[in-house]
Amino acid sequence: MGRPAATLEVGQVVESRSIGPITQTDIVRFAGAGGDFNPLHHDAAYARQAGLPDVIAMGQMQAGMLAAWIADLVHVENLLSFSVRFASPLAIGQTIEMTGTVSSVSTEDATAHLELLAKSGDRAVISGRARVRIALSG
Amino acid sequence: MTRSSTQGIPIGSVLDTVSFEVEAGKIMEFARATHAADPVHTHPEAARAMDFPNVPATPTHVVVAAHHRDQKEFVAALGLAIERVVVGSVDWEYIRPIVAGDRLTGTRRVIDDVTREGKRGGVMRLVTLETAWVDDTGATAVTQREVLIERGA
Repeated sequence: MGRPAATLEVGQVVESRSIGPITQTDIVRFAGAGGDFNPLHHDAAYARQAGLPDVIAMGQMQAGMLAAWIADLVHVENLLSFSVRFASPLAIGQTIEMTGTVSSVSTEDATAHLELLAKSGDRAVISGRARVRIALSG
Repeated sequence: MTRSSTQGIPIGSVLDTVSFEVEAGKIMEFARATHAADPVHTHPEAARAMDFPNVPATPTHVVVAAHHRDQKEFVAALGLAIERVVVGSVDWEYIRPIVAGDRLTGTRRVIDDVTREGKRGGVMRLVTLETAWVDDTGATAVTQREVLIERGA
């Protein structure tokens, strides 16, 4: 029946995921999927006029990547809540590196919290948190 | 911090309502765009083998509602200057995974609207919006909250 939940322990570092370098095609693909057609994300001349060096990705693209990665790790049906904070923009040519640590485990309701971070080089792009259902060991 | 209900739409009132059908093709497209690897999002047989009635969407799928909304219109309705607005944070609470075939209606309300001093001077306005995504049985599947930040002029 279905899939077993993951077993997670406090302090555990989950398997990271790296996506990139981000291309204009990646951004356009997300625009088509998500419906965000703000020209800041696909029109370089418009982005420059707005004071950016070039187009930037939509925050929801990075949020979706972070969420999909966590869902791949714990299975989507075990994800109870997910939140993101946008720290800095992601530009074409940059690679996003996603890392996560289990910050707490509740044996009472078989859930865990994860602290998530997506960086490009040393710069934070987004931070996030997830609450997930887990399997209790032993 | 100053609470204001004079700018834009009063706290508690509905900003907009959007309905759409969750489609397998859109789930696949969104999963690909966000690099989801789990085959349940893209292969109906993999989904059914895991007891899903149909392919489940990835966790942030309801953002596809942007296809059905006019961003300029709702930002203007809130009394915000679009060129100074960024999204600060978003969170989702899941009651169940949404699956292809669901028909969802999202009612978006203004739940907070405050101004405060920005770190680099000027006044920032923070508007918190909450959307309850309800299926055809009237049950909420997902709740989404987003905080829009308007930087000082």
